[in-house]
Amino acid sequence: MAFLALQLLIKRAFLAVPILLCVSALVFLILRLLPADPIAMSVPPGATQADYDMLRISFGLDRSLPEQYLIWLGKLLHGDFGGSIFFRRPVMELISKALPATLELVSFGFMLGVVIGIAGGLGMFMLRGRWGEQVLDGSTTVMMAIPEFLWAILLILFLGVLVPVFPFIGRLAPDLTLPPAATGFLLVDAALSLRFDLLMSVLAHMALPALALAIGIAPLLMRVLRSSLLETIHEDYVTQARLRGTSETRIVIRHAFPNAALPTLSLIGVQGGFMFGGTVLVEMIFAYPGLGNLMIDAVRNHDLPVIQAVALIYCILVLGINAVVDVIYLAVNPRLRLKGRAA
Amino acid sequence: MIALSPRAKAAWQRCLASPRVVAGAGLIVMLIVVAILAPWLAPHDPQEQELLSILLPPFWMPDADPAYPLGTDTLGRCILSRLIYGTRIALYVAGLAASGAMLVGTVLAIVAGYFGGKIDWLISRAVDIWMAFPPVVLALILLVGLGAGVNKVILAIVLIDWTRFCRVIRSEVLVTMTLDYIPAARILGFSHSQIMLKEILPAVTPLIITVLSIEMGIAVIVEAIMSFVGMSVESNVAAWGVMIADARTTMHQSPLSVVFPIAAIFLTVLAFNLLGDGLRRALDGRLVQRNG
Amino acid sequence: MVLQARNLTVSLQSKDGRIDVLRDVSFDLAPGKVLGLVGESGAGKSMIGRVVSRNLPKNFSVTHGSLTFAGHDVIHGSDAMLAGLLGDRISFVPQEPLTALNPLMTIAQQFGEHLDRIGIRRAHQHAQMVKALEDVRLLDPKRVLSSYPFQLSGGMCQRVLIAMAFVSQPALVVADEPTTALDVSTQATIVQIMRRLQQDHDTALLFITHDLRLAAHVCDDILVLYAGEVVERGPARAISGDPQHPYTRALQAANPSLDGPLTRLPSLPDNMPGIAGFSALKGCRFGPRCPVADQACVGAVPQLRETSPGHWVRCSPACQHGKPVAAPVIEHRADDLSGEVILQASGLSKYFEPPRNWLGRREGPGLHAVRPMDLCVRAGEFVGIVGESGSGKSTLARLLMGLETPTTGQISLDGRDISVSNPQTKQLRLDTLQMVFQDPQSALNPRRSVEELVTQVMESHIKAVTPEARRIRAQDLLRETGLSPELLHRYPSQLSGGQKQRVNIARALCVTPRLLIADEIVSGLDVSVQAQILNLLLDLKARRQIGLVFISHDLSVVRYLCSSMIVMRHGKVVEQGPTEQVFSNPQHAYTKALFAAAPPADLESLWPPEQTSLS
Repeated sequence: MAFLALQLLIKRAFLAVPILLCVSALVFLILRLLPADPIAMSVPPGATQADYDMLRISFGLDRSLPEQYLIWLGKLLHGDFGGSIFFRRPVMELISKALPATLELVSFGFMLGVVIGIAGGLGMFMLRGRWGEQVLDGSTTVMMAIPEFLWAILLILFLGVLVPVFPFIGRLAPDLTLPPAATGFLLVDAALSLRFDLLMSVLAHMALPALALAIGIAPLLMRVLRSSLLETIHEDYVTQARLRGTSETRIVIRHAFPNAALPTLSLIGVQGGFMFGGTVLVEMIFAYPGLGNLMIDAVRNHDLPVIQAVALIYCILVLGINAVVDVIYLAVNPRLRLKGRAA
Repeated sequence: MIALSPRAKAAWQRCLASPRVVAGAGLIVMLIVVAILAPWLAPHDPQEQELLSILLPPFWMPDADPAYPLGTDTLGRCILSRLIYGTRIALYVAGLAASGAMLVGTVLAIVAGYFGGKIDWLISRAVDIWMAFPPVVLALILLVGLGAGVNKVILAIVLIDWTRFCRVIRSEVLVTMTLDYIPAARILGFSHSQIMLKEILPAVTPLIITVLSIEMGIAVIVEAIMSFVGMSVESNVAAWGVMIADARTTMHQSPLSVVFPIAAIFLTVLAFNLLGDGLRRALDGRLVQRNG
Repeated sequence: MVLQARNLTVSLQSKDGRIDVLRDVSFDLAPGKVLGLVGESGAGKSMIGRVVSRNLPKNFSVTHGSLTFAGHDVIHGSDAMLAGLLGDRISFVPQEPLTALNPLMTIAQQFGEHLDRIGIRRAHQHAQMVKALEDVRLLDPKRVLSSYPFQLSGGMCQRVLIAMAFVSQPALVVADEPTTALDVSTQATIVQIMRRLQQDHDTALLFITHDLRLAAHVCDDILVLYAGEVVERGPARAISGDPQHPYTRALQAANPSLDGPLTRLPSLPDNMPGIAGFSALKGCRFGPRCPVADQACVGAVPQLRETSPGHWVRCSPACQHGKPVAAPVIEHRADDLSGEVILQASGLSKYFEPPRNWLGRREGPGLHAVRPMDLCVRAGEFVGIVGESGSGKSTLARLLMGLETPTTGQISLDGRDISVSNPQTKQLRLDTLQMVFQDPQSALNPRRSVEELVTQVMESHIKAVTPEARRIRAQDLLRETGLSPELLHRYPSQLSGGQKQRVNIARALCVTPRLLIADEIVSGLDVSVQAQILNLLLDLKARRQIGLVFISHDLSVVRYLCSSMIVMRHGKVVEQGPTEQVFSNPQHAYTKALFAAAPPADLESLWPPEQTSLS
């Protein structure tokens, strides 16, 4: 099993390479369509043509497109994303600060969303035919009609401004200091340095943005799980188990749920990918110092090296989450597992 | 009036009987009417600034001015009028962007599903590459490349969301391809284009309509996001996303002014989602069979 | 009595009122006996099993009568009482074995769950499972136990399910079409295993089937159902040997025999109405299709009356049943093999490349769907191709139609090679060769009307065809295939199974082809409708000198239609020759086994035979 999982991960990594190459080329190409000139925007007023040319050359913008791309790619292989035009700092440094923040937020939001989704889906199934199902169904409709960035604003309005329960700016209270040995993952850092106050502050700051992200994925999970449960409950093997006198609880736990969970699981992979997209605006709205905020800043300032790098990181994250879900899928589906062994 | 097949007739009747379809379509018709009649419905010019009456509350609060039923924003502009004019932009983007994505996605889906082999491989890999991007990220990159503007937003949505149609419809085409009436048509001498147009397209049309409706809701959201971050319309134009961005800065002074544009987006997206969901239930042959 | 029904009536509550889908059914099933419920699809034969398990579809309910299991009231007893009986004292064998097992659990896990349920201690479970699987003649029980359902064949899954059904030594086993989804050769084994277990444990068996001949061999008593009513009831021997009701007679006569002289099959008009049509049937429900019905049959519902001890029939006492007229003997043998050659295929084969994995390596061996074979069809000749699933017979049809490219070999039509695809060969193929697909449900585009469907080929013409020409052609075709011209504007969803298959055939006839390829075109039909279609094909041959490649798994049908036949297995031709010769003197062991697996008409011969293993 472990071997198969490893094999699958290697395969996924292999397949990811051409996709990432295409993705990077695509991003590169799109950004060079740019009508505005990023250098002109970042030179200080009163600069001479010579200053301007020098900047262009220092960012490699005087060369031909394929050349620029290959140079960029070559540096990338050495872990060098180039320098930010706007922030005047290495892109790598910016990303290494923002990435842990985003990962932390997404993990929290993802878990929250999956838990709400599965609990809600099971709840809707158990309550089928009763008014409780209607209430839950109606709530999914409402949740789906409001995108996560608007949930973010509504949550700030209701739980931050009108009834100030949670903080909604940044990652932690400004008066707290970080412990020295920082991994960048504040929850880990706080736990390692036994700083309970820090831990609570970080969790409180994550509550609203994570909830907004969770609302973004939960309703679809609820619906898909419910409908696959309704489908599996009519499968022959469930009828047959019932005809053997198997108890209804056992039928749901052993027969219906595992089979219904498979389509839900592949959906979780897709939704996990979408969640990274959701972070862009949610982070901006909560002034949360993650990749999304970095992206918005870069977009507003036409900071091409940063945009390129962040876009690529997002794609790697999406492909990564898909690969992880694939491995889980492999683990729970004997048909795939055994096919892998035979090959 | 063309004679409908009993199948089409039954589908039509199921649509009319579905509260979701009726409610969704009703709401959409209402929004279209509002958009068309905006100049007559709106009490003020949406750009008109009245600096003496800024941040007025809506009519049921004390200190409200009956001339501004939903109050005013930081520049003293009438919120109700801006909401009404915002409908125009939302529906304009929804209609054009969703239809464009549908056209591109459906053509590619049918070609990929019908011919299979290398063509299918190529189109499917393109979809894979597109799917590696979170859509918002791709939209931002495209708008950086194309430059801001509402028509650029439409183009960006088409370039991003054709994959949604392509994925969903391709798998439906593959289901249709397993039915014997496709090889039967080949044996009867139909050309490839005849089979695609006369046999496959009608089979996937219900699904296309369903996805189109959902996609319109998504386009409304994407436009709102892009105006929110200032990549769509000019910042003084009345668009819901712009209104939200403006109102967010004054959330403490007048918390409700951010709720109105959000409610407008909610209502519009809800209408398209209800319609799409209702159509899916009413038109999906498999669902109909199971319940009937 | 194990199971006792008295005037059992099951009704559907619809918006048009109450429809009795099962009316006034009474029977007794004693321990160790087998009761057969025989009827076409929609006759209500599955309802009784569903009443026992309280698994009636929505809006169906028992409205009258009683059903008792060993003294327990099945209809009014508590849910808890019934749940206690299910799986322990009463068990079920399903129709579709492959989908009746949970795909995510091993056989051992599912079997173990069942043993838990009937209270067998964990420590004893393994030994018991192995023994139970040995009892159903699974050769390697340990391997089976550790397998997932998708790793087993349909026949093996069915044996597992039978083992599970009998492991609690139940008093009653309900088997609903247990062999229908399986290959012919598996059918005999499954029947044999069930009978053996049933006799060993003195279990009562309720055997539900559409196949009267099979029921006659398996059952002690038979109940024949038509449109929800018992039309005849009695000992299997009496029902099969001396059927009294016109419907039972028609059912028996509609199956072509496997030996003796061939006579034209008598066929009933139309088909049994669907449930919604039951309420329109006044008086005798079989009346509208009955060949000997008179005024009396329309008036009142005839009562069951005893014609000989234990043999009951629901037919008016006045009815003389007029012994069936001796049908004309079929003489289609003599000049069949002298017509001109239409289709000639030589060395034809198809090999499917294995799928490649992401590294471009081949995954597993490929599939030799059809190994090199020759085939020749003359004008007016019907060639039967017999084989089980996976024999390559459908791939052969697709090769002939040009839907697959042959790996080797060539095909010629009228002496012209059509292996190379160009506009001329395409046109030649289109004009000469047509195909009728197995499942009209899938082969007829539901969005086209009958008129559009039967003349679909005219849409592909380069020259525009006038709507009038299309209509006239469509009317001709409907007449030729025995359909009413009123159907012209109907859609497939409004047609019965038999009508759809006729439309399917009519469409193929539109170009007046000289050769038809028919892939299992009667396998989804009820026997009485099957006879109509078979006779239609014979009529076409007489009228048009049309040739036919008839692909089927059913030996009796092939014998009825075809003058020569080919037996295929795993893509290989194992036997080939004139039908009568193959039937009277089969050479290959596989052909012999196939014949042995089919239940014979003669009840005296022992069936299933002791040794029918093919695998």
